[in-house]
Amino acid sequence: MIMKKIKLLVAAFSLLMAACPMAKAQSISGAGATFPQPFYNTAFMAYDHLAHTKITYGGIGSGGGIRSLKDKVVDFGASDAFLSNEEMKEMPASIVHIPTCSGAVVIAFNLPGINQIKLTPNVLTEIFTGNIKNWNHPALKKLNPGVRFPNKEITVVHRSDGSGTTNMFTDYLCKVSGYWKSRIGSGKTVNWPCGIGAKGNPGVAGTVHQTVGSIGYIGSEYAFAERISSALLQNKSGRFIKASIASTSAAGKGKIPADTRVMLTNSPAKDAYPIAGFTWLIIYKEQHYNGRSMAQAQATLRLLDWMTGRGGQSYASKTNYAPLPPQVAARAKAILRTVTYGGKRILK
Amino acid sequence: MDQTTTLNKEYIPTLSDKEDSGNLLIRRRKLKDRLFKIAAMFFSFITIAMVFLIIGSLLAKGFKQINWAFFTQVAPDTFSAMMAKSSGQVIPGGIVNGILGSIYLVALASAMAVPFGILIGVYIYENSKKRYAAIIRDIADILQGVPSIVIGIIAYIWIVVPLTKGYSVFAGSVALAIMMLPLIVRSTEESLKMVPETLKEAAIALGTPYYKVILRVLIPSSFSGLMGGILLAISRVLGETAPLMLTTLGNPQVNWHLEKPVSAVPLLIWQFYNDPNMVDLIWSSAIFLMGFVLILNLASRWICAKKKI
Amino acid sequence: MFILSLDIREQYEISLLQLILMQVNSDKILKRVLFAASLIILLIAAAMVFSLFKGSLPSISKFGWGFLFSPEWDPTQGREHYGALLFIVGTLLTSVVALIIALPLAFFTSLFVAEYFRGTKIATVVSTLVDLLAGIPSIIYGLWGFYMLRPLIVTLGLSPQGFGVLTSALVLAIMVVPYATSLSNNTIMMVPNELKEAAYSLGATRLEVIRNVILPSARSGMTASYILAFGRAIGETLAVTMLIGNENIIPKGLFSTGNTMASVIANQFGEASGLQLSSLIEIGLLLFVMTTLINAAGKYIIKKIA
Repeated sequence: MIMKKIKLLVAAFSLLMAACPMAKAQSISGAGATFPQPFYNTAFMAYDHLAHTKITYGGIGSGGGIRSLKDKVVDFGASDAFLSNEEMKEMPASIVHIPTCSGAVVIAFNLPGINQIKLTPNVLTEIFTGNIKNWNHPALKKLNPGVRFPNKEITVVHRSDGSGTTNMFTDYLCKVSGYWKSRIGSGKTVNWPCGIGAKGNPGVAGTVHQTVGSIGYIGSEYAFAERISSALLQNKSGRFIKASIASTSAAGKGKIPADTRVMLTNSPAKDAYPIAGFTWLIIYKEQHYNGRSMAQAQATLRLLDWMTGRGGQSYASKTNYAPLPPQVAARAKAILRTVTYGGKRILK
Repeated sequence: MDQTTTLNKEYIPTLSDKEDSGNLLIRRRKLKDRLFKIAAMFFSFITIAMVFLIIGSLLAKGFKQINWAFFTQVAPDTFSAMMAKSSGQVIPGGIVNGILGSIYLVALASAMAVPFGILIGVYIYENSKKRYAAIIRDIADILQGVPSIVIGIIAYIWIVVPLTKGYSVFAGSVALAIMMLPLIVRSTEESLKMVPETLKEAAIALGTPYYKVILRVLIPSSFSGLMGGILLAISRVLGETAPLMLTTLGNPQVNWHLEKPVSAVPLLIWQFYNDPNMVDLIWSSAIFLMGFVLILNLASRWICAKKKI
Repeated sequence: MFILSLDIREQYEISLLQLILMQVNSDKILKRVLFAASLIILLIAAAMVFSLFKGSLPSISKFGWGFLFSPEWDPTQGREHYGALLFIVGTLLTSVVALIIALPLAFFTSLFVAEYFRGTKIATVVSTLVDLLAGIPSIIYGLWGFYMLRPLIVTLGLSPQGFGVLTSALVLAIMVVPYATSLSNNTIMMVPNELKEAAYSLGATRLEVIRNVILPSARSGMTASYILAFGRAIGETLAVTMLIGNENIIPKGLFSTGNTMASVIANQFGEASGLQLSSLIEIGLLLFVMTTLINAAGKYIIKKIA
């Protein structure tokens, strides 16, 4: 009786598996940063319809993405922070960075009745080091003459999990404050001198939203989508800039190195928002490894070519990310054309 | 005194006030009894209240998103979600890639964990005097305390990298199976212990071979305990995120290949959480998981009822 | 080895398979199969310890025993120094407090379902509802705690932003109650009726029957379920992460924030590399060791009380 039931179940299951189209479609997998995940997911879904290629992307963190690429269990990795020279040496073979879009880090705050505040790099650093403890500090009042700050303690909110957003923010703080650079430094996780930690962008946004007198840093795609009010920051050329897609893109309009490995923070461009940066997709320069087929390599490269071309980039601004400036996109395409399979270029 | 005895029901006498209330000792004992009962009601009430609170708030937040599409379509992309959100509509799409993925993972994990778990439980029960069995039992308890992410790391190291050379269903189900094992082992052992020795001895006295004693006498008698353990284990792994992130990655479509990545409802929940446009889908996904556990619960109760002699 | 003769098969009208089975010493085979199954647990534990140890070697060789007692966790490049002390304290604090809250809840609810209202519809409903709690993913518990519990604690004035040891312990307690009740329910219900009725016939009150008949009989199962619940509490990651405030300090009290071992691993693993990764893995190894010690201590204490 039981044997019959089991046989029936197995038969049903195999029928189910047979019924599902064992598609000849190519499938690609990638893993890495959570920051660009909404953009990637939307773009990849569109690409699936165009090129019948299924793409699986897991937002397990930039470090996880690089690790997965190192272990060769994914076709591409995604990271908000480019690999340093030492890190590149640790990879089993040489890799290339392909930028896909840029994003920013906004400074959100919760002060009832106050919609806009201006911050200079100095004041921002002082708040996050805990030296400015109260909202009615004279430095804040001086910057914002018309604003009536309450007498309330500042609650700093930072990320508890390692993240590229933290990396971008702390990189900026290091560039504008020698104190921060020597005492705290930059990285995906740092030893915050003060404040509470919340998990993920939603954690920080939620905590700021629920705690009066709090201030925190949030990734731009999250802030723009939720229409969270953020502070105006003074950039390197002295102007107070509001975080937006335009000002984020403006940060990328300067000189960038040939391999695109650069942090765009504290950009000297006039209209640039000071805390912005690229996010990259990373692949091996020589695609013939681990028994990888030519078809798989081609599929991967075609995807990346589309992502940096007009097709993929059109989805960036739709999902609240800043598309690549034209010369960066051109640079990315040039890099893609240096990727080889068995020594021969894959894309023409 | 009440005389409500039937053949199967338990006979619980009550000390009525009319008798022996003059005896101080008996009054004290009655008082303690009553206080204990009040404490039991009180704490149970708190537990039940918490249950209602949590389940209620989940239902309240998520019921809007539950519709037919929820169960049949794959997860939407952020753009369509954004459009729907700004126009106040229900977010399109559903979580079918997660639902089928979760079922696939849990079914595979159960197929691995249940037979081994029960066998190991039986082994510990049969050899409970030996040191070796005690060590196995202790290790099972320790495994229960390992954080799910560490199990995910182990599955990544031993399966994703060397075996399937990529994120896969198999790796995910192995991670889940490891998490299910301690629960099943322990509940099997404890349930077997509650079966009266007399039953076992009678079977042996009749000359039943050992494996039949286990299969036909011990396991059926402790069936409700076994099912309870299996059910608890399944409920636990249905909701696990961290190990799956490191072993199956997720998948925007439904996937049946063993060596390819697959989606799961908790993974989708994590994705929705991090995406500002799809946050609302979290609650409905949670409701689905609860509903699934409820169905499993009811099914197992029904099976246990049928099995009762 | 086996007698396969056709005559015997015809005479007794049995199949070949049955003839073989009759001669096989099924007991021995079964014993061997069971033993082989038990090796799986050893295998898994060995693989785990091996991988954890291998991964923590860089950290162990750099920090040595000091790792256990150092309260610093500084990932700054060039000045990295890691220590596990504050996570150990955080883990112990949250799990113990969670268990203290969960135990009375689970204990009395078990009695409610399996004894006082045994067999009634109420008991079925309650136990099903409690079992449902086990099916809620931990991230949802974290979110529920974040959106519902935290503001409550803030309004009660117990803590400025609501994060902290108590908040996470409360949510943890609710999460582990189903683990503590499920097995207990079954073991309590399986106490033979005759024992209880014998006690009643001697004039015992309900409480006395519970204390002197049910509990001793069900003690083993109930203890097992509490150990399982504690294991669950120690290893819980996501829910605690969202509610503990993630400050790398040693918690000063119930309402202070802190951090736990599972939580720091989950938070930083995705982005860690090099020495930081190795330290995180060492924390995983320490957690393994800690669970072993606590379980052993718990079992020892219970044996002494018995």
